[in-house]
Amino acid sequence: MEFTALFLAVTVVLLVAWRGARGPALALFAATLAACVATYLHHASDVLKLSF
Amino acid sequence: MSRPLAVMLNALGLYGIALVLAAAFAAQLILQELPCPLCLLQRIAFALLAVGPILNVRFGPRPSHYALSLLVATAGAAFAMRQVLLHIMPDDPGYGSALLGYHYYTWAFIGFAVAIVLIAAVLLFDRQFEDGKMQAVEAGAFARAAVWLVIGLTALNVVATLLQCGFASCPDNPVDYELLKRGPA
Repeated sequence: MEFTALFLAVTVVLLVAWRGARGPALALFAATLAACVATYLHHASDVLKLSF
Repeated sequence: MSRPLAVMLNALGLYGIALVLAAAFAAQLILQELPCPLCLLQRIAFALLAVGPILNVRFGPRPSHYALSLLVATAGAAFAMRQVLLHIMPDDPGYGSALLGYHYYTWAFIGFAVAIVLIAAVLLFDRQFEDGKMQAVEAGAFARAAVWLVIGLTALNVVATLLQCGFASCPDNPVDYELLKRGPA
């Protein structure tokens, strides 16, 4: 679900960058990138099932 | 480098991003290989990489627009490197099939690294920022088509990811589309 939301957020950022004003596009970009990094850190903190 | 030439190069970059997103879709639909969570995150980073070029096409080339792309490419390379390291042990088969000897996440790391080098190379040319005091350049049909192609492919990913993951967290090793599963008869 979180990845669907991230793809949707990126689509909105791209549309605002193309059709909207520059300021809101930059703000939305920063929020989306922060959400991507937060999602990455959430998954990176999972316990790894290593077999060696 | 003139501003129109810089805009043309940014449009070519958008076509490159579209090619990556389309290739990922082809692997998903033709080879029936569903993307894992980290794979999806790398796709998202590729799509977000398009923000800088789109702003350059719309408002004209600015160093800050290239900086956005550099930030995303660095994050994307970190996402891809994480997955490379997860499968670094000898005899690990890796995730998914390989293309020309490398798995998709290895290609993704190479793609993000190439993007960083290319953006740095384009930033070497100061004249694109001097002409016209940062005024916008009229985007031609070639550039406009590139923008809509990337936006369309990203929107398709919204639908594909919703079908794959449904309304729950995406599984680590997805084998089918959650929303297309048939219930008990």
